[in-house]
Amino acid sequence: MKHVIPKTYKEALEHLSEGTYKVLAGGTDLMVKNRSWSETPARFKQDMLYIHNLDELRYVEDKGDHLAIGALTDYETLLRHEAVPKVLKDCLIEIAGPAIRKVGTLAGNIGNASPAADGVLLLYLLDAQLVIERKGARREALIDDVITGPGKTTLSNEEMIKEIRLPKSTFTKTQFLKVGGRKADAISKVAFAGAVRIEDGIVKDLRMAIGAVNVTVVRLREVEKLHTGETISAVQDSIVSIKNAYVPHIKPIDDQRSNRVYRKRVAFNMIEDFIMNMHIQD
Amino acid sequence: MKTKKDISESIRKVDSEEKISGRAPYTSDISVEGMLYAKTVRSPIARGVIKNVKLPDMPEGYYTVDASDIPSRNVVSMIYEDWPVFAEKEVNFIGEPIMLIVGPDKETVMNLADNVEIDYEEKNPVFDFSNSGVRLHFDKGDVVNAFERAAKTIEYEYETGYQEQAYIEPQGFVGYIEDGGYTLVGSIQCPYYVKNAVMDTMGEDEDKVRVIQAPVGGAFGGKEEFPSVTACQLAVALKKIQKPIKFIYEREEDMETTTKRHPSKTKMEAALDEHNNIIGMRSRIGLDGGAYIGLSGVVLSRGMLAVTNAYTIDNLDVHGDVFLTNTVPNGAFRGFGAPQMIFAIEMFIHHIAKDIGEDPYVFRKRHMVKQGDKTSTSGTFRDPIILDDMIQKAVEISNYHDKAKAYEDRDTYKGIGMSWFLHGCGFTGSGESDIIKANVKLRKDDEDNVHILVAAVDMGQGPKTTFRKLVADILDVPIEQVTFNYPDTRYVPDSGPTVASRTMMVVGGLLARAAKTLKEDWKEGEEQTVVKQYEQPDYVEWDQDTMRGDAYPAYSWGVNVVEVEVSKVTYEVTVTNAWSIYDLGKAIDERIVMGQADGGQAQGIAYGYLEVMNHENGKLKQKNMTDYIIPTSVDVPKMENHIMDNPYPLGPYGAKGVGELTLVGGAPAVALAIEQAIGRKVRKIPATPESIMELIDNG
Repeated sequence: MKHVIPKTYKEALEHLSEGTYKVLAGGTDLMVKNRSWSETPARFKQDMLYIHNLDELRYVEDKGDHLAIGALTDYETLLRHEAVPKVLKDCLIEIAGPAIRKVGTLAGNIGNASPAADGVLLLYLLDAQLVIERKGARREALIDDVITGPGKTTLSNEEMIKEIRLPKSTFTKTQFLKVGGRKADAISKVAFAGAVRIEDGIVKDLRMAIGAVNVTVVRLREVEKLHTGETISAVQDSIVSIKNAYVPHIKPIDDQRSNRVYRKRVAFNMIEDFIMNMHIQD
Repeated sequence: MKTKKDISESIRKVDSEEKISGRAPYTSDISVEGMLYAKTVRSPIARGVIKNVKLPDMPEGYYTVDASDIPSRNVVSMIYEDWPVFAEKEVNFIGEPIMLIVGPDKETVMNLADNVEIDYEEKNPVFDFSNSGVRLHFDKGDVVNAFERAAKTIEYEYETGYQEQAYIEPQGFVGYIEDGGYTLVGSIQCPYYVKNAVMDTMGEDEDKVRVIQAPVGGAFGGKEEFPSVTACQLAVALKKIQKPIKFIYEREEDMETTTKRHPSKTKMEAALDEHNNIIGMRSRIGLDGGAYIGLSGVVLSRGMLAVTNAYTIDNLDVHGDVFLTNTVPNGAFRGFGAPQMIFAIEMFIHHIAKDIGEDPYVFRKRHMVKQGDKTSTSGTFRDPIILDDMIQKAVEISNYHDKAKAYEDRDTYKGIGMSWFLHGCGFTGSGESDIIKANVKLRKDDEDNVHILVAAVDMGQGPKTTFRKLVADILDVPIEQVTFNYPDTRYVPDSGPTVASRTMMVVGGLLARAAKTLKEDWKEGEEQTVVKQYEQPDYVEWDQDTMRGDAYPAYSWGVNVVEVEVSKVTYEVTVTNAWSIYDLGKAIDERIVMGQADGGQAQGIAYGYLEVMNHENGKLKQKNMTDYIIPTSVDVPKMENHIMDNPYPLGPYGAKGVGELTLVGGAPAVALAIEQAIGRKVRKIPATPESIMELIDNG
């Protein structure tokens, strides 16, 4: 088994084009998944590419219409950056503890593709575009089109995430609500992110994303669109049909952290809570 | 003339610096030249018969150690002897140890352990409360008559779940051969429990087994009896291999295979007269003992004795069972059976009051224990009881009555709950005089330095500091002149295990007596030794067979008030405030007691609403710190804690027990607060958001 530490991003893409590697950024998921007896190496099952020292992928740049986040930018850096949207910060501050946030990255969160990942939930909400590269080629894709299931993405063995782009948007209210086993340092049982822009009593932009209730984050853009342009009260009067639209998509599981009945109920409570209070400023 | 400081006035903990700096040599820090590593091969099934064991090719220098290597008896000697050192023919729980693989390279050891192939004939495991392994009973007065003349009877059932000790440092020992005997250094609470168990398994004399306590990174009862299991396994390996061996559990291994707090089910039935006074109570408690009994019978006993908590009920009939199931054996955990029972009785008293339409506060006060009343086991509460004053103080600082009234408005989704409780100090009944027979020794060297020689362990609760402080204070010498090293059975007498809130009251009490004797007889520049042995207070009378008499020489008392808010959207509980008042006689160091108060309440409240552990077909579902949720600093509420002095004549400076007291009332206080916030009776803990949702839906 090979352990490769490239010196440059270009070199990293070279290696990826030549072999089948698992890419390790901060290691906050992979080191835990492959944990072994103390004082022995992690039990990785394939060749490893360690990209932690590629500083060229650590940046946050305001590009006017969007925010460009380099793949290796850690959560703590994002928390301290003034251009990062508040709702994303509301989420990041609740992820793990300071030590994990110092090495954990959004790109790693995408690569790990857990349905309970809070960071990914916010990327859905914010219409994140991913810049994905392999040697000699680049593509851009919406987050929804990259993550396909638990631990599953459309990333090929040759590709890695280079950058995350967050289109600029203005909201009159945002909400991040995480239900963990406790108030800090817990994996979500169910999580909700919502954002709305209301102008002159008209809902101009409505978004809701729900985590840990299906194999991927649930965001129903068609339902959101249906109610865009309506008055606040028209949207709120439609709460029953809005919730009904989510019914086929809220399909949580029983596990060691919670159960399906609870997750389902709380998911719908959170949808209702957001819709019914969307006009009330924080 | 210098005025002496009050003993309670805090000093800096003597071991803070070595622990904070990282210099304290915990077991995993110990390295011995030529040391091998041991890993356990375990049963993957809950119940079955071992048909065949196929070992991988063992490289030179690698060993297996199993039941066939045991020189004497394949049983871990503890209070009840049914727990094998290694499973031999049958396995009874998932994770039961079958053999050790021992060798110099950890990866090789791990791979060998993974490649041991064992064939089993599987049998139907038992998980329900059907197979009683221990049955206890006691009564008081005439319960049959009480129920016959009752105007009304009320019955409820209560359930509690597992709780994991979640000490920071996992179980572990380093062992080596020394002068033809076995020396074990480890993370333990009870050096002599370990020594006696190893002597028994190895068939060795006292001088061949030496046990040394390493600094302990938390224990909470989890290192009371369990380390005897791993110590016996390690001693067998040492005998076979004759080389030093390090044997430390991994976190998940520790959580999956070591003792926890017993899940329980308790049925309570009260007989009330026409004035709504409780005239009798029947109670049946069942504990899930797991696969082996071990200490479970004693845990059950302490639980049953707490059946009436701080209330006086004249007629009682109390049954208890430890049920054997094919799950990991349960055992000692701070509170030792009392947290389950105090949850049940505190809820029951409230539920009775609610059912008869009386204010629970008034109803409870009417039934509260007074000095001179008979205990649940017909002993006598001899010492002054200041619970009334404590409750008054708790009510004032928490603004209990106003809040309790305001939160009757369900729309607030807020609640406030108050528990009051007692905890018996020291071993049950005549245990101290019949079983433990504690000895302590003070040795003064020719430079007039005084050495404390006891087997009590500092696992964070402070005796390294408080014992030195106590002895120095009595001798009127600087604390630096008194030493207390980590106990080593080669040098210290058996002062008993570090359990049962007995360390300061019993061991400290003996040290105080020894120090007084030494002071009276002080000969400057001369070596002197003073030994003291436990003597039962002459007023204590106890009959173990009928469980009748004075179960404890003294009681500590407490009041907990907890305030919560429940989310209407997610049913999550936010504990907003907690207040507590304790009577532990006299604090030997106030800050150390306050540390116990903070930690004990955090653990006790979390037991009531936060910490979830359950198994599916014998396999624990929460087996690491990611899935087993304990409170963080964000979860722990603002706390205001107070001590009220009520010195116990036979304790050092009046000190009684403290360690367990601060935990036992947390769960009912938070459960009662949740009960008020949601307007539903809570009968099961932990009261998780999932169960709160169910209660709101179904009542």
